[in-house]
Amino acid sequence: MTPADTHLFDRRLLIVAGKGGVGKTTIAAALGLVSARLGRRTLITEVDGAGRAAALLGVEPAPFGTARRVRDRLSVMSLEGSAALAEYLGLIMPVKRVLQAVLSSRIYQYFVAAAPGLKELMTIGKIWHEAERVDETTGERAWDVVVLDAPATGHSMQYLGMPHAAHEVFRSGLVGRESRRLVDLLSDPERTAVNLVTTAEEMPVNETVEMYERLRNELGLPLGCLFVNRLHDSHFDVAAIDRLGRQVTRLADERERAVVTEVLSRAREEAGWTAINRTYLERLAREVKMPAVRVPFCFSEEFGLEQVRFIAEAVRAALVAGAEAEKARGRA
Amino acid sequence: MVGLDEVLARHRVVICAGSGGVGKTTTAASIALRAALAGRRTMVMTIDPAKRLANALGVRSFGNMDARVTVDGVADGRLTAMMLDQKGAWDELVERHAPSAEIRDRILANNFYQHLSESFAGSQEYMAIEQLCELQAGGAYDLIVVDTPPTRHALDFLEAPRRIADFLDRRVIKWFVRPYFSASWATMRFVNRTVGFLFKRLEDATGVSALVEVSEFFTSMSGLFEGFEPRVRRVYQLLRSPETAFVLVASPEEQVLDEAEYFCQRVRAMGMALRAVVFNRVHGELASKRRDLRRGDLEVLLSRLVSRPGVVQELADNFDRYEALGRGDTLRLEAFRRQLRKDVAVVQVPNFTEDIHSVDGLRSMHQYLFAA
Repeated sequence: MTPADTHLFDRRLLIVAGKGGVGKTTIAAALGLVSARLGRRTLITEVDGAGRAAALLGVEPAPFGTARRVRDRLSVMSLEGSAALAEYLGLIMPVKRVLQAVLSSRIYQYFVAAAPGLKELMTIGKIWHEAERVDETTGERAWDVVVLDAPATGHSMQYLGMPHAAHEVFRSGLVGRESRRLVDLLSDPERTAVNLVTTAEEMPVNETVEMYERLRNELGLPLGCLFVNRLHDSHFDVAAIDRLGRQVTRLADERERAVVTEVLSRAREEAGWTAINRTYLERLAREVKMPAVRVPFCFSEEFGLEQVRFIAEAVRAALVAGAEAEKARGRA
Repeated sequence: MVGLDEVLARHRVVICAGSGGVGKTTTAASIALRAALAGRRTMVMTIDPAKRLANALGVRSFGNMDARVTVDGVADGRLTAMMLDQKGAWDELVERHAPSAEIRDRILANNFYQHLSESFAGSQEYMAIEQLCELQAGGAYDLIVVDTPPTRHALDFLEAPRRIADFLDRRVIKWFVRPYFSASWATMRFVNRTVGFLFKRLEDATGVSALVEVSEFFTSMSGLFEGFEPRVRRVYQLLRSPETAFVLVASPEEQVLDEAEYFCQRVRAMGMALRAVVFNRVHGELASKRRDLRRGDLEVLLSRLVSRPGVVQELADNFDRYEALGRGDTLRLEAFRRQLRKDVAVVQVPNFTEDIHSVDGLRSMHQYLFAA
């Protein structure tokens, strides 16, 4: 199966998970850009984030739970459990004065801080709400695609597992019924795909393999693509570089020798990363049965919208095939 | 300028904190190895779902808090690694503090507990700190290095004991317990509209039978944590002790540095001592060596050694790319350092082209971590 065969952008909810520091937010932002280019009304959501997705896309983050428009068909939103709960209570509790009294009471604050899994559940609930929401004025779905920039692995598993746990505990009540709907959305391969992001290095790959197995065996969630980020791909011949290194002494000027030595050591560094990446790409291919999207390392002084666009291009090339590709190129 | 060796020498507890994916585990292990090599009895402890410390130490086995491993290549017993299994952290807490076997079993068998214990606030963080307090009090080690759990926010580790104490606060638990075990529940409804409203909603939301289960759970828990508050106070005493040093581990990426800056402020505000910052994965600044050398000149220079123009091109391109990385890293690190106090040690470790998962690898970090 190729990455394009997953038809990611035909699904409603694209979850982007992985170890901390591998570039989840970047991949989520890139997916958002590609999705919007394909004409899908797209919302990127981030959990407990400091508005990083918004910053990467070059806009100011909006308050929790509020969408900030990035461009046509693309918005970004930060989510936070207690804000989502307050919003939810606002829906079921129309009298503002009572609502305020509840929200500001000490017992409520204790309750929110202490109730296990409540924040996770409310966050997933809010995502569900956005994924299913119908715009009142147009009568259409507010978003075609919701991209979720999930927290780091351990926390992701808590978020993704919470609806199931809540359903098991509270089968009969409102929470039980609502969490059933969340479980239905999360486990429906027509609507949802859990994507993993990793770099091709030992530690992130270990964690990715572990998470892949848990997603498949414990949570049974539908899988999308594996994004292998920051890949180095050079063709330097290390033996040839070493030969060159021995010839550096032929240069008379000390500064020239220093520069050439640096040039060669950077080539060695690049060759080293390329070798590491190849080793772990092979391991990923053996152990993680998800179509892999290879995302090149982005060499730049800063990391911002321009770099996200560069990565979105790699993502688009891998995910969008045939007629859709034509369409995406036309809009790009 | 203060060096990291000095920081180690002056403290008995070193806590490595930082956001995920910045090489915290490796740094903690390398620091511990340094102290062990200097002859101090050293313990490195981590909570580690991805077995990272196990990898870093070249150790295969992995278990709960009793799994202690003596590392090859260091004088007998000088370096001990301890790994806490985060999955069992709450079970461990219950096992440890249950006043009786009966209460323990009742909690462990509770449906509510079984499904949700993984999401109870900060259990693994708390267990790590409690373990740290015990080890420290035991006096078997000259230095304890703590690798903090891979939370998104470095601060979670520091705030976990407080949050868990709030969670187990008797005053809070009483709210969960009261409606089904106390006659005052009915009157409460009338006296306090907010509480009444909340519990009415809770009943609707969860169903009465589930709420009874929740209530039972909290009843069992309330006996479990008698004297929890003083323990938490001791924890914060240790974290604020002059013998304890915080080492912030970061990388030169913008988002990591933003988080790191916030961490520095909060640690200071909480009365804890940030003693060092370790920047991992730094691309060195090369510009100085290249001064005045334009791209064309570089190619001319390289072609004196390399005959194939294609290779000259590739080498020069690659050099340019790495220079861009180096320039960016340098600018960001300089800006970050400006807001640090002068007595904080700052070290930079380059971006190694090999994964570090052996004692030799950890040792190879020392030339950077402990550069004179």
